Amino acid sequence: MIQLIELTKRFGQLVAVNRIDLHVKQGEIFGFLGPNGAGKTTTIKMLAGLLKPTSGRALIDGHDVVIHPMEAKRVIGFIPDQPFLYEKLTGVEFLRFIGSLFGMKKAGVELRISDLLGLFELDGWADELIESYSHGMRQRLVMSAALLHNPKVIIVDEPMVGLDPKGINLVKRIFRQKSEEGVSIFLSTHTLEIAQELCHRLGIINQGKLIAMGTLSELMTALEHKTAQTGTLESLFLALTGRSLDE
Amino acid sequence: MGILAVLFWVIIFFLFYKVLAYFKSIEILGELLLTKLMAVVFLTFFLMLVISNIITSLSTYFLSEDNKLILTVPVSTEKVYLSKYLITLGHSSWMVLLFGIPVFMAYGTVYGASASYYLWLSVTLLVFLLTPGGIGVMISTALVNVVPAKRARGALVVMFILLLAALYLFFRFLQPEKLVNTEGFSELVDYLAMMRLPTSPFLPSHWATRSLFPLLKGRFDDSMFYFLLLLSTGLMSVLAGSWICRLLYYRGWSRSYESREAKVKRTPLLEGLLDFLLRPLHGSTKAMMIKDVKVFLRDTRQWSQLILLFALVVVYLFNFKALPLNKVPGISFYLENIISFLNVGLAGFVLSAVAVRFIYPAISLEGKSFWVIMSAPIELRRLIWSKFWTSLVPLLLLAEALIVLSNTFLHVTQFMMIISTVTIFLITIAIVSIGIGIGAVYPRFRVEDVAQIHSGFGGLIYMIICVTFIVLVIFLEAWPTYLIFMARTRKYFLSYLQWIEVIFCFCLTVSIILAAIFIPIKIGLKRLSRIEI
Repeated sequence: MIQLIELTKRFGQLVAVNRIDLHVKQGEIFGFLGPNGAGKTTTIKMLAGLLKPTSGRALIDGHDVVIHPMEAKRVIGFIPDQPFLYEKLTGVEFLRFIGSLFGMKKAGVELRISDLLGLFELDGWADELIESYSHGMRQRLVMSAALLHNPKVIIVDEPMVGLDPKGINLVKRIFRQKSEEGVSIFLSTHTLEIAQELCHRLGIINQGKLIAMGTLSELMTALEHKTAQTGTLESLFLALTGRSLDE
Repeated sequence: MGILAVLFWVIIFFLFYKVLAYFKSIEILGELLLTKLMAVVFLTFFLMLVISNIITSLSTYFLSEDNKLILTVPVSTEKVYLSKYLITLGHSSWMVLLFGIPVFMAYGTVYGASASYYLWLSVTLLVFLLTPGGIGVMISTALVNVVPAKRARGALVVMFILLLAALYLFFRFLQPEKLVNTEGFSELVDYLAMMRLPTSPFLPSHWATRSLFPLLKGRFDDSMFYFLLLLSTGLMSVLAGSWICRLLYYRGWSRSYESREAKVKRTPLLEGLLDFLLRPLHGSTKAMMIKDVKVFLRDTRQWSQLILLFALVVVYLFNFKALPLNKVPGISFYLENIISFLNVGLAGFVLSAVAVRFIYPAISLEGKSFWVIMSAPIELRRLIWSKFWTSLVPLLLLAEALIVLSNTFLHVTQFMMIISTVTIFLITIAIVSIGIGIGAVYPRFRVEDVAQIHSGFGGLIYMIICVTFIVLVIFLEAWPTYLIFMARTRKYFLSYLQWIEVIFCFCLTVSIILAAIFIPIKIGLKRLSRIEI
């Protein structure tokens, strides 16, 4: 469903993403881990169409994001790390706007909006201007917008930032449910517990390069072979990214 | 922008120089008029500075993003107050320098003042800024303890713009051009001599006048006394502001984050109307247009500028009504039609000035939310054209209103009415297109203040392109319009050669207009499609 083929992004001399190859299957939740500045957000922005790859390809549901961006975007639900929204629209107006951009029928949109606002507990705030929303509420609104058109692929950058424990629990539940429905989820996160708990497979990126990929047990086994010791995802992450716990 | 500012200074200087030189030539009353006028200038600046300082300090002290960081570090309230006071003063006082310096330089030139006047002027002006700054901060600090900062700022912006519009209309309707009419002058002088202008001895504007005016004649008189009065009051207001801040700043700041904004008012009529009118358009284009209209109408800082625009239009039209063309027997008919033609260019300049504020920033106004558009399955040309149509309709209405009404006041011929309405129609489409196109070439998605968008390099480029384009169109249309107009007026037929000239010029004009409509949009679209966020 998501395929990256030698995907590369350069900013001048800096190689932010360096020839990444990976494949995310239908219904799979793929966790993208890495330290700050490793290239996670750059990769995600290329998938969402906000950045253009310098070389290589990114395919979403078989559509190249550069050659057929419209077809690719139509099946993506994108959740950025910072929920910048139109401050002078109300929550419900924003969702209607998103529905129009995705070419949804009016009657269907209203029903879907009502469901999503209820699901994310925003129904009491539907007619308030977004400028009065808290960070967590904005994040929940962005998630509602990303799910509005029933995407086949969800691309999400740091999904839990700004959410309270109840919100985090809700998002985890929704992601699992979507995965069962066959939706592929590509998520980047710093929170190793969430990656451990939610993701079917993990990829670890460091200095633009994908340095490890596999299920959690596969990665642990690899670590055991490499360091002759057992450990947690955290120790694996630190070992692979060349950092110590003291850092 | 620098060139425009210098041009503006030169115009203000020249106008004031003419008026002041005229006043000075009046025996006995001249000096009185000049003193009173300086007092009025200072008083106007004082009032504007107080309001401007209130609005600016609401932003710097209570709504600025850096507060969240500053207030968590161990810095005393006094230091925060003082640093923000200086920022506020800088932001809100540049206008006085822009308007004030050419005015006071005109005074100096009329009196042939020495260097000591200019030196004293610079010191007095700086000290004059202190008091309204202190008062502004004190009022805003007290205000946010009662009303949340966002609502207070919105209301004050509207008040300020209303005040500016009222002042502008007031001065224009005084018909200052009548001052050069010697027949009515004796009555005016009598009137001015009789009335006591508002120069209360307790106001800093009065002290500034009394401090500065004697220096025009190289004397010092009570200048130092009034200067010290100005300085001590200014410093006292800064100190009092610091006390008020120590008492009320934190409470006000936290209050500004406590309350929600007012619930948005439902506008079913407007939404229904837009929905109906935009029915033929593509769903996403329509959605973006409706979004832009709603955002514009809900943002006080944006729509409130329409009040000033309205005042500008009223004065523009009033100027045409007040033109003394009927006093020139014989040639008034030709004069009216020539002015009508030149008016197309003038209206074009006015429309460009409006467009640089409202249309050029259209793409940049997507701001940090631009990711929504970029990640949605819509082609960027839909965004560009949605901005184009949203901007075109109101600007066309304004353009045609300006031309049709001014032509009506000028009693122009039907031919001139047609040529000017058609020309302004096409020019307006081009102005909008250039605005959207150049706006897409120089997008500024990360600015905090909307006003920064048009004051940048792209805004200057836009104005230069617009002015060049309008001059070119007027220049190319002038000759064929003249030929046809004269032939119709004097009732003769054009020769074949003249017809060829007419057709050639009109074709060239239309080609330039079409190029101005399509090329900027194409360039803007190309640039925008390469953008990465």
